[in-house]
Amino acid sequence: MDEELIERAQRGDRNAFALLVERHYDFVHAVAWRWSGNVSDAEDIAQTVCLKLANAIRAFRGASRFRTWLYALTLNAARDHQRSRSREQRNAARFLADPTSACATDNHDQVEALWEAVRQLPDKQGDAVLLVYGEGLSHAAAADVMGCSEATVSWHVHEARKRLKILLGREMV
Amino acid sequence: MMNDELKNLGHMTPPAPSSEARARALALAMQAFEAAENSLAAPQGTAAHRRQSSIFNRLWSPIMNRKFLAGSALATLLVVPAAAFLTLELTRNGLPVDTGEQQIEVVGKDASKGSETKGAIAAKPASDVAADKQLTPEASSTVAEAEAEIAVKRETGIVADDAYGIVRERHAAPSPAGGIEMLAGGSAMRTMPAPSIVPSDIMPPQEENRDRFSSGETNPVKSVTTDPVSTFSADVDTASYSFVRKALMAGEMPDPDSVRVEEMINYFPYDWPGPESEAEPFKATVTVLPTPWNANTRLMHVGIKGYDVVAAAAPRANLVFLIDVSGSMDEPDKLPLLKSAFRLLVDKLKPEDTVSIVTYAGNAGTVLEPTAIKDKAKILAAIDTLQPGGSTAGAQGLEAAYDLAERAFVKGGVNRIMLATDGDFNVGPSSDEDLKATIEQKRKSGIFLSVLGFGRGNYNDALMQTLAQNGNGTASYIDTLAEAQKSLVEEAGSSLFPIAKDVKFQVEFNPREIAEYRLIGYETRALKREDFNNDRVDAGDIGSGHRVTAIYEITPKGSPAVLNDDLRYGAAPATQQADPAEKSGELAFLKIRYKKPDGNTSSLITTPVTEENAVPSLQQAGQDVRFSVAVAAFGQKLRGTDAVSAYPYGSILDLAASAKGEDTYGYRAEFLNLVRLAKSLGGE
Repeated sequence: MDEELIERAQRGDRNAFALLVERHYDFVHAVAWRWSGNVSDAEDIAQTVCLKLANAIRAFRGASRFRTWLYALTLNAARDHQRSRSREQRNAARFLADPTSACATDNHDQVEALWEAVRQLPDKQGDAVLLVYGEGLSHAAAADVMGCSEATVSWHVHEARKRLKILLGREMV
Repeated sequence: MMNDELKNLGHMTPPAPSSEARARALALAMQAFEAAENSLAAPQGTAAHRRQSSIFNRLWSPIMNRKFLAGSALATLLVVPAAAFLTLELTRNGLPVDTGEQQIEVVGKDASKGSETKGAIAAKPASDVAADKQLTPEASSTVAEAEAEIAVKRETGIVADDAYGIVRERHAAPSPAGGIEMLAGGSAMRTMPAPSIVPSDIMPPQEENRDRFSSGETNPVKSVTTDPVSTFSADVDTASYSFVRKALMAGEMPDPDSVRVEEMINYFPYDWPGPESEAEPFKATVTVLPTPWNANTRLMHVGIKGYDVVAAAAPRANLVFLIDVSGSMDEPDKLPLLKSAFRLLVDKLKPEDTVSIVTYAGNAGTVLEPTAIKDKAKILAAIDTLQPGGSTAGAQGLEAAYDLAERAFVKGGVNRIMLATDGDFNVGPSSDEDLKATIEQKRKSGIFLSVLGFGRGNYNDALMQTLAQNGNGTASYIDTLAEAQKSLVEEAGSSLFPIAKDVKFQVEFNPREIAEYRLIGYETRALKREDFNNDRVDAGDIGSGHRVTAIYEITPKGSPAVLNDDLRYGAAPATQQADPAEKSGELAFLKIRYKKPDGNTSSLITTPVTEENAVPSLQQAGQDVRFSVAVAAFGQKLRGTDAVSAYPYGSILDLAASAKGEDTYGYRAEFLNLVRLAKSLGGE
């Protein structure tokens, strides 16, 4: 199904493209939400991914790996978004001081605290944890998304767990 | 545990996206899709779509590919001296060297005339002399001329950009269609800023301090009625003091979490009276003195000295150096310092002792098989070969080290791995827990582990502490060669030859005399009350000649400094069971439990603390007691402990200065300097 839609979209069929984006919007949004922890950011990220998709779909090869590709697009977009946001925050200190602009997270249960810690991890480690634990991918599949070897993913996950223990340990003490 | 928690992450259900955002995204995507479609349909490669950089590339590539490049190189050889001569000539004649303005104008005008006039360009801008010198063979063609011109211009100090512009115009000329565009490219280049200028908004990323410390809450004031017993494990580590020193020397206040008061106190050699014989491994000396920072409390100072094993009686040692040679060790205060430190240690060992070296970085490797100290040259040569490079694979290194230690195992002797690293230890399949388990298991087989920390910025203090504590070893932080001398050579005996292991302290306070107490430091060493008599619970070790000092701040009953109110319903029944008649007059009761290094059952030493241990004024307390109190005050102040916040650095300085004593190695003088530094940094 996806394969066919992609092929048609690549030939310029706008209906096929619309259908394709619609089918995957929820998925992209969910991943973006897990990454950013915040609905409005997730919507921004999902929108960026849709735009990217429009420009990049013709260059996409390997229809069976569409999901993998979407993951990669979304993670990159989430990262860019996060960067631009932290740049904004740096530039305008008052932005932080204003409580309404602070990107308040939506819920604060324990899992959320863990996620918050995951989001503080270095990029690669955060991606690895997101893909393996959040999305339930195997290390091999995560490696595919991240464009590195399986061993590297395992290493990132291991490092991340070590770091999380310190991050969380400190908060709990 | 972490694994399960992480698995929970997958169960988080994301909220449904709002249909509005969804519609907006879809609409935008469709727009973009169509825009992409249109641009696809448009004829490609029009001038309008070209980027300036592509012009540059398109021009340079054929130039670089042309065969006559060799000719141009030849021509350059001819022209460079000529250019030098020209420059000399120009300057000597007093002509302005920078003729850039004029040249650019000329070039622009000429180029616009078309390809026919291009031959003249080279001649025009420069003076007649230049024209003469540029008569190069026909073969070298325009490229040579252009090159020559660049050379000339460089010599005369004109920005290279202009020269590139000219080159471009020259070579564009043969293709008439490209002529105009080339010109545009040329002039565009002229206005471009020098390529080496970095955009000012890209700032170099700030270096992050990745040292990690486990944060322990400062011990609270406890009420004797509810909590009459205080239990903790011995700690003879000194890493914290070196870390504090390094921070202060670097002009910054240390991270409060990095300050462990007991380690700072125990850093200094104190002359507590030691035991007479090996049968009694250590002796405790208790002094009760007024608190310098609070008139209404007293300090109970416990100084413990281990039995000093005479060097001749020292058992044979089998040491394995496990050395981190990862890329990050390539700093003057890391690997080179470590090499010097090990040379010092090798000098200290006896001829029969054996040493082996394992390195880890990427792959773990054995550098030196177990070698006796008599073969000193071989050991020193092996130390010299250590080179930094690669990433850290500590787990494998540790395995290799344990293998070697087992191979050269000395029964009844000292079998110890000395781990030297600058930070993170483990990049391998095993987690910290596995690592701890391995070390613990090996400890039972008689191989101990000590940690030497180096450098700053990535130091994982928490892990190093855990490793050393689980391996029955000490963790020292080495920042200077003097520190290496102290922890490896002067104290080699104590860190290498344990005289007692699993040393635990328990102090029971008499609620009739003492209302409240607070243990200064030992936050990371607290034990449960019931663990004191449990021989399976691991605790710190004391080596030959080691000193351990513990200080309690105690509040006598009825003192105005009491923080906790009396209980309305009287004392807990547990405290009434203590026989009050017999223990009257006692302030507290000190119990020490320890095991012989090779034993598995513990022995007990007890000392009652009475008013006989008390001194009426601070000045009457021993010099070493006063100095250790000053260190305790300093450590607490750096940690931000509330009790000493009103006690100024100046008073600490006075207290320490009056108790400096002989100070053979200058440790105390250095401490005074640190207090002065902290005073100025703290703005007091």
